[in-house]
Amino acid sequence: MIHVLADNITSPLGFDTAENLRQVSLGRSAIARHEGMWDLPEAFAASLFSPAQWEQLHLPGHSPFEALVVRSIREALTHTAADVVAGRTCFILSTTKANIEALQSGTPADILPAEAARHIADSLGLKATPIVVCNACISGVTAQVLAAQMLESGQYDYAIVAGCDVQSKFIVSGFQSLKAVSDAPCRPFDLERRGLNLGEAAATIILAAGQPAEGEWVYEGGAMSNDGLHITNPSPKGTGSAAALTKALGDLDKRDITFINVHGTATLYNDQMESKAIEAAGLADVPVNALKGYYGHTMGAAGILETILSLHAADSGTVPASRGFEEAGVSGKVRIAGHPQPAKGHHVVKLISGFGGCNGAVVYGKFPQAADTRCLPPATAPRAEHRVRILPGQLYVDGVRQPLPTTEGKMLTQLYKARVGDYPKFYKMDLLGKLGFLAAELLLQRSEGEDRFCECDDTAVVLFNHSSSIMADREYLGSIADAGNFFPSPSVFVYTLPNIVTGEIAIRNHYHGATALYILPDKDEALMQQIVDAAFRDGHTRRMIAGWVDAMDEENFEADLQLLTLPQ
Amino acid sequence: MESLILELKQQIIEALNLEDVTPEEIDNDASLFGEGLGLDSIDALELIVLMEKNYGIKLKDPAESKEIFKSINVMADYIAKNRKK
Repeated sequence: MIHVLADNITSPLGFDTAENLRQVSLGRSAIARHEGMWDLPEAFAASLFSPAQWEQLHLPGHSPFEALVVRSIREALTHTAADVVAGRTCFILSTTKANIEALQSGTPADILPAEAARHIADSLGLKATPIVVCNACISGVTAQVLAAQMLESGQYDYAIVAGCDVQSKFIVSGFQSLKAVSDAPCRPFDLERRGLNLGEAAATIILAAGQPAEGEWVYEGGAMSNDGLHITNPSPKGTGSAAALTKALGDLDKRDITFINVHGTATLYNDQMESKAIEAAGLADVPVNALKGYYGHTMGAAGILETILSLHAADSGTVPASRGFEEAGVSGKVRIAGHPQPAKGHHVVKLISGFGGCNGAVVYGKFPQAADTRCLPPATAPRAEHRVRILPGQLYVDGVRQPLPTTEGKMLTQLYKARVGDYPKFYKMDLLGKLGFLAAELLLQRSEGEDRFCECDDTAVVLFNHSSSIMADREYLGSIADAGNFFPSPSVFVYTLPNIVTGEIAIRNHYHGATALYILPDKDEALMQQIVDAAFRDGHTRRMIAGWVDAMDEENFEADLQLLTLPQ
Repeated sequence: MESLILELKQQIIEALNLEDVTPEEIDNDASLFGEGLGLDSIDALELIVLMEKNYGIKLKDPAESKEIFKSINVMADYIAKNRKK
């Protein structure tokens, strides 16, 4: 069984989990209104570390982001006697923008998430190659699902799963351009909700494979599901979120669920969608709570921080209040906890959704009541049906070099015109999106022929790269760098989440399986294979578009995708 | 008005990457969203940026934009009446 060994939350409310739980139970939040900060023309409310806290958190030789992660992991490690650092340990880092502050002046080594992860791993003495999960808002849940899959593969004994994001002009202006940010403390699920608050924090959960002790939390299940509808708008019926919930819960007794901790960002669409999803999953009677009113949306940390806080709150016998909530403003039937309630039951659910159409859920249960009820299929190696490789000036299908269109213009656009041509959204994508989209099109043309675009619940999209979304990052920075010409572009900002490419493929092909983007220090075929094989053991995935999609600049890009299927 | 309409169409094509669309193909009265040009919510947000960048018009409430972005004619009319640059 996979169980929780130790954890940490480092947030403006405190630097360990116990202090965070205490502050939350007192109803405290660090969310404050900030006017004129980072020269932003519009005010915003956010949960930020104070300058004095940053001084305490500083670590020489580390960026603020790296210092936060290192401190969070180190503190978590003090809560276990196990020698996690020296063991067979997998290190997974969940973040959306990592060291994005270095974008203006830094080198790729200062900016790219995989480099930050390597620096953090070196600081801690961790030997395994770090895996960065960059899956928009659901990164923290994706990271836990991946950790469980890696532990189940038998190749690791421990997994350190850390999540973090640090706020900046880049991120806040982007969410403001999407009209998603409130300048007052957020009010999840409330009638008067007017948008989200951003927040900064780091959180670490250390998982172990083996026999849990009585009272420990056991990972009982986790799942992801894509809406396959739109890159930013959630499904109005909460289809993907409900599917993730249902898959994660399996046949667990719903009456024994203590509460569901929702994403609850306090945007109009997210909360409405989640209420529909919970009702659709048959969980209308289970207490629901949201923690964004205490922490804001801590992005890469959110899925981990909110899981940890929920487990500790359940341990203390309480369903935490949804700070900011007074009167329900959603149409789905849900039981929002507006005040702290006594906790019953033995299972806690974390639900989350994000850009790119992705949704995720994890379920933890208290040992010994927790039952690992998942029916994991035996490990079967997936079969590669086809492979498409695109490089500047080169195209290979199943290893055979193909002629490229000889028309004038950018290679990918010409390839699109010659081979696809019926999907004008292509022109709106960034280069990373175009590259992944095209490679997937060529793969599927090869495999499915005319029989395309049926709804597929069993098809996943799992992509890897090194350069994250660096091209979109630079383009977006260009729209905010000059105070006299400050027009943050919402459509460019969306593509600063590299997992959008997985969403583009899911939307085009009506795929509703898991979608994820992982960032690695390099194109490590063995590690990619390990992750893909582990992902196939979720009991739901039968088919997957998987591989490498990297775009450093106009001259340096590569897609190397395979269509994989499980033998019948 | 004619030149404003043409200018606006060109700006929309560029800002929204409507690569295969020419100004002549955009009907002045047709709906920009849904059926018509098939624009979506991110396009609407990008049009809000376009209004501010090119015409100095700040739309505070995205809901307000729904009426203004009804068609090219409605949009051009609103710009002509409210432009600051």
